[in-house]
Amino acid sequence: MTGKLSEDKFDEMLGQSLRRHSEPVPADFTERMLKQIEEVEQRRILGRVVLQERLSLAGCIVFGVLAAVGILVFPGRISGILRGIWAGFAERGGALVDGISESISIEAIRSEWQLYIILALVLGLAFVCVLDMLVGDKLRTA
Amino acid sequence: MAEKIWQKRQEKKWLRLLRSGDHEAFGEFIDKYKETVFLCSRRLGLSADEAEDVASETFMAAFKAIGQYSGRSELSTWLWSIAYRQGINYLRKNRKEWQLEAEPGEEVGDGKEQGPAEAVESRETEQIVWEAVERLPRLWAMAVILHYREEKSIVDIAKIMQIKENTVKTYLFRGRDKLRQLLATAFE
Repeated sequence: MTGKLSEDKFDEMLGQSLRRHSEPVPADFTERMLKQIEEVEQRRILGRVVLQERLSLAGCIVFGVLAAVGILVFPGRISGILRGIWAGFAERGGALVDGISESISIEAIRSEWQLYIILALVLGLAFVCVLDMLVGDKLRTA
Repeated sequence: MAEKIWQKRQEKKWLRLLRSGDHEAFGEFIDKYKETVFLCSRRLGLSADEAEDVASETFMAAFKAIGQYSGRSELSTWLWSIAYRQGINYLRKNRKEWQLEAEPGEEVGDGKEQGPAEAVESRETEQIVWEAVERLPRLWAMAVILHYREEKSIVDIAKIMQIKENTVKTYLFRGRDKLRQLLATAFE
């Protein structure tokens, strides 16, 4: 038969015959696969939550250590800043922002820029953590 | 025409869902391509159980990577590449005798011992053709299936099998030639 078939006819016969073949697949393969994927997903989500918890804990520890170091190294300035903030709360009420801006003068920032950089980094990290916790999933799936 | 546009839109919507990790869409994706993935594993010479393991790994890898699917190649070509790679990796890990080249030792005989010729009366043409393909060396069979069954281009087959286009052409030429011989004997 193939001896008599032209090249094109042979190719056509080959293609048709191969396309008709169906490979046996276990009946519940899709369900099992989806279940497996769901388990992996759950493990991944759990892993992310654990990582976030660890990051938060690390952030708290780092912040605490920095605060302690700050108090030890710059006791006068830290107490000045805290006193200024407290004065803003206690005495001026609505003028809180003014109080803070007065207590944190440009001069003070200039002389202790390292401390403010560290504080800014810690606050930045805290902001990213909060943002990730609240809208991280939506941003990732968008 | 309108139906074609509607179909394309539906496919785009489905692809978007698939990329976003939607489980229902991925279930449809598995249903659509599971046979193809099993076919790939079985043609690489894996047993039914091994083929199931490789198919699971393939779909798991596809699920993880679907977000990065760019759409530059067809979805089936993309999945074939993963399935083929997973199959080859499995063979490399578990079968020491596996070689990537088409092995001369694997080559088929003349088809007279127990091949399709004996059963030509009672079996359908496609069954005979399939049996003949199964007797080809793995890589020739894979190239033949990809070209004639899946209608993949030489370029796509080269991408899937990670070989040069000329090598694909050689596999196809030899595979086709051998099939002609085998089928000529079978249909005599």
